[in-house]
Parts: sequence; structure tokens; C-alpha cells
Amino acid sequence: MKTVTKYPWERINPWLVEIPASAREDMRVPARIYVDDVLWERAIGDRTLEQLVNVATMPGITGWAYAMPDAHEGYGFPVGGVAAFRAEDGVISPGGVGYDINCGVRLLASEVSFGEVRHRLEPLMTDLARVVPSGAGKGGRLKFAGEDMDRVLADGCRYLAEIGMASPEDLERTEAEGSFRRADPAKVSDRARERGKGQLGTIGSGNHFLEIQRVERIFDPAAAEALGLYKGQIVILIHTGSRGLGHQVCTDYVRAMDEVMARHGIKLPDRELACAPFQSKEGQAYFGAMCAAANFAFANRQAITHAAREVFEKTFGEEGGLRLVYDVAHNMAKLEDHGDNGQIVVHRKGATRAFGPSNSETPDAYKEFGQPVLIPGSMGTASYVLVGTDDALERSFGSTCHGAGRAMSRTAAKKVKHGAQVRKELEDQGIVVRCAGLGELAEEAPHAYKDVDRVVDVVHNAGLARKVARLVPLGVIKG
Amino acid sequence: MSAPASHRFVDHTSEIGLQVRAATFGELLAEAARGLASLMLREVPAAVAGEAREIEVSSHDRESLLVDWLNEILYVAETGLWVPLEPEVLEVSDTRIRARARGVMVEISPSMVKAATFHGLEVVETAEGFSAEVILDV
Repeated sequence: MKTVTKYPWERINPWLVEIPASAREDMRVPARIYVDDVLWERAIGDRTLEQLVNVATMPGITGWAYAMPDAHEGYGFPVGGVAAFRAEDGVISPGGVGYDINCGVRLLASEVSFGEVRHRLEPLMTDLARVVPSGAGKGGRLKFAGEDMDRVLADGCRYLAEIGMASPEDLERTEAEGSFRRADPAKVSDRARERGKGQLGTIGSGNHFLEIQRVERIFDPAAAEALGLYKGQIVILIHTGSRGLGHQVCTDYVRAMDEVMARHGIKLPDRELACAPFQSKEGQAYFGAMCAAANFAFANRQAITHAAREVFEKTFGEEGGLRLVYDVAHNMAKLEDHGDNGQIVVHRKGATRAFGPSNSETPDAYKEFGQPVLIPGSMGTASYVLVGTDDALERSFGSTCHGAGRAMSRTAAKKVKHGAQVRKELEDQGIVVRCAGLGELAEEAPHAYKDVDRVVDVVHNAGLARKVARLVPLGVIKG
Repeated sequence: MSAPASHRFVDHTSEIGLQVRAATFGELLAEAARGLASLMLREVPAAVAGEAREIEVSSHDRESLLVDWLNEILYVAETGLWVPLEPEVLEVSDTRIRARARGVMVEISPSMVKAATFHGLEVVETAEGFSAEVILDV
């Protein structure tokens, strides 16, 4: 064993490193991080490993505490972390899901070609930016409140289908049909509702975006065909979550659990890991509220889809129809049946579910190849479509990476390049940018992130997901 | 004499660390609020205007009071389009703060900060005063 960090570690294979459970006396399970040598150097450069080891100390954790190749330090859990807790006697942790509950990604495929879009890109982006507000706190066109809000929280996309904003096919092609049945709107506070008011159908700030992209390369023709993707096709990738509503739900329950942990006899190395037994009153209340916030996020991405469809159909007529390929969450805790591992609560904090062909939750349309996995790159770089594998279930509780993963702080990113320079470089590549502020543009610049191609290669080679297609951006709407 | 209260932002790969120092716990809370406000208003001109408002928060220890206080300010700012700028602490203990602040109205909800977290948080008291570092989720 070599030690370059404060923990002993061992390379299991070219894509996987393990930190044994003996590395720190409070660890209950070993930790595993999917990285090649280059990404390993990144991972040991901040507090990622320490946070992962902290997760390995939590009550009821089973198997390994995992980090994905895009992992970096977060608060409590590392971003890119996966941990599973036994439903019977394990915990649920709001900090292990994060403040942006059900932050996720949705891919829409058009039948429009690059040639048709190229000359209309500027007005198209302007129209999209008008109907899909972005930026911190920007309000949307939809004013759900009172009973409407309750229905969104209870039923997510199923409610949007009732009011004509989602099709049955949309529901089939969204994780959990865009509607977690365990949602309990009564457990979502008035404050959370107030923060989420008017935010349905909006992108938000930070690393969230809507991009028009072109399918640049197909790796797996048969899987691509099953997903309805082909080279040169124009697609839209949407990355956003539950906005202020989710932030407040997490805030409310981190606080609530911080107060009751001692009563449950739970001691942790970091208070942000605040948790409660899944079966406890507090654990169940959070689970109900988190599922409701997740429904709000699914509905948010569906409302954005509805607006984008109006613009595309107006611009391109019938050809401009946008078909939902898939919608997948990457900040969630889910109750899942993992066979020999039984019922477990899988926390994915900046990690994407990646179920294979034989999983019952993989939609019928994708049973042959596995559930689509959508990996957004950083702004201006490539994004990927992959499919989940059956092996991922044993190797990472059916999870894979969620993006390129930050490599540089916001302050450091701004020192490297100013926003105006970032904008110019994107425009020189022919990418049309619509962004609220130049500061945000500098913070989210490609150089602030790890290399998405390398990250995706690790999960592909490690067998956590298989590459299907690579997408490159044409137009970006940033928060 | 203690040094005046101060704050600075420290690097974190994906979030922002807010490091605060002050002579008293009450001043630490007020200074943390100033730091948060400067983040929220980063591209908005800020001129204090209008009537002062009261903000009151109770919690169960110093760390949770600091987190709750900052999260209360985030909530008020995001839902009321109003960012408190010059908090004046009226009453403070380890578990409760009552403050009055004038502030600035904003047109767009300043929600770039999602929340103040407990990550690695410790309110440190020394002979020189109080210090803390809060990781803000952005």
C-alpha cells in the first residue's frame, strides 16, 4: 500500500482505488473511488477523500462508500458521492442529497438537421431565452400556488400531463415517470413553497443551463438507434433542479435532524452529515418532503420542455417536434431493491442512476440496452449519452458520474480568464451564448472543470455505463 | 483593543467559504451577514434605503444560530427581494439573536447562494474574540 494522502490506499484496477475500512477507526465500510491516475491526483488535491471517509462512518451504511471520477469536495458528502444505507436500520441524510434536490438532466431530440439550425441559431436562442428564464431568482411564466402547488408536489409530471403540458410518452421516458409516489406535500414547509413560488419553468443560476447541441459522434450505433439518436441531429440538453423550493426543504431538514441526532444516539465527524434513521418519524418526514421537491424538479424540467417545444414548433413546423429521450436525477436518495443487498436507501450526491437492461425500473423502450445516462459537460465542451449496465448494480449501487466535475474554485477560474474572454472564445467556436452576467460566465468556464472525455472514459472502462453518443454545443443559455 | 470585525472569502472547489472574525459573538453574526449580502448583491448597485426591519432567530447553540441566521437572511432576500445591509444587533445570546437592519430592495431575487451549511463549522472563541468559517452552497 502507498500513502500520499493521510489515508492508506490501494489501486484495485486501472479505474478503481480503495481506501480500507481500517484507514480510520470510525469507518464502518471501506471507500472506493473510480479514477484513473490523472483523476486520482485531482481527487487528493482537495477534501474529497476526507469527506468520503466521513460518509463511510454513517450508521447503516452497506458495501462501500463510493466516489465517481468527477468527484470533488462538497459540504458533508463529496460531490460525486454514492452511499447506500440499509432501509431497516440505516439512516437518511438531507446533506447526502444536497440543497438542489433532484438536480438532473433531460435530453430532447429533434428531427431538425444542423444545416437548418445553423442560420437561425441567433433568433432561436433569443426566443428560447425569452420563454425559459435563467439567472438567480428569475421568475417563470407559470404561477403555481395553493392547490396547484400541492398537485405539483404530489404528482410531478403526472399533474403536468393532466393539464396538457406532458404526454404519456414523456412520463414513460422520465426516471420514476417524473412522479415519486412517496411524496408527501404536507411535509414541505410554507417557507419552501414561498421560495419555489413562480420558479417552475426556470433554469436558475450556477452551473445550470439549457443547450442546443449537435450529435457529433456515435460510439454504439445499435444503442443510439434504440434511443433515436443519429450523427448530425440537433438535440436540447436541460440541466436544472428544484430551485428555491428544494434549497429550503434541505435547509429545513438539515436543521431538524441536527436537533434530533443526539436523541437517536448518532455521532458524526461533520454536522452537515446530519441524518436520522430512515424508519424514524424525522427520516420519513424528510423522505416525503424530498420526494415532493423531486417532483417539483421533474415538473420544472417538463415545463421548460413545454416552452422549448413551442419555440421549436413555431420555428421549424412539424419537424421541430421535440421528443424526450430521457430525464434523470443526479441529487437524490431513493429506496431501491438491490436483490441480495435488500432494500437500501441509495444516496446519489452528484451521481447519476445507471440501471442496466435487466432492471425493472429501466423503461420498456430501453430494455435492450439499459437506462439512458445523461452526462452534461462543462459549458462549451462536450456532453455524453451513455446507457447503464447490469454490472453497475454490484460495482456502484447502479450509479455513475454526473458531469465533468469542478477542478478549480470560482475565484481561481475568474483569475484565469475574464467573462468577456470566455464569451469571445465560445463565440469564436460558433457557440451562441445567452448569459445573465459575465461573472457567472467566468466562473463556469471550461477550464474550471475536469476533462469530461476522461471522466466518461473511466466510467465506460470501469463498466458503470457504456458510451453511446457525444454531443457538442451550438447555443448556451446560462443562469 | 480588538481588531474590527472582518470577513473574507476562501477557496473551495465548488462552493464558497466565508471566513469571519469579530470581537464578540454578536459582531460575528453581523459581519457574517455583511459578507453574505456582498455575495448576494455582486452585480447590483447597493444603496441603503427604506425603513429598518427586525430579524429574529432562535437556535440551539452558537453554530446552529450562525447557520440559521444566514439562512434566514437568504430566505428574506429571496422571497422579499430585500437584502439587509447594516445589521444592528439589539439582543444576542448563544441561542438567539434579534437584530434591526436597513437594506436594499432588489428587482431580481438574489438566489445565487442556496444555503449556509454546517460543514466543518466551529465558532471558535479565543482571548482575541470569535472566528468561524461557513461553507455556503452556491
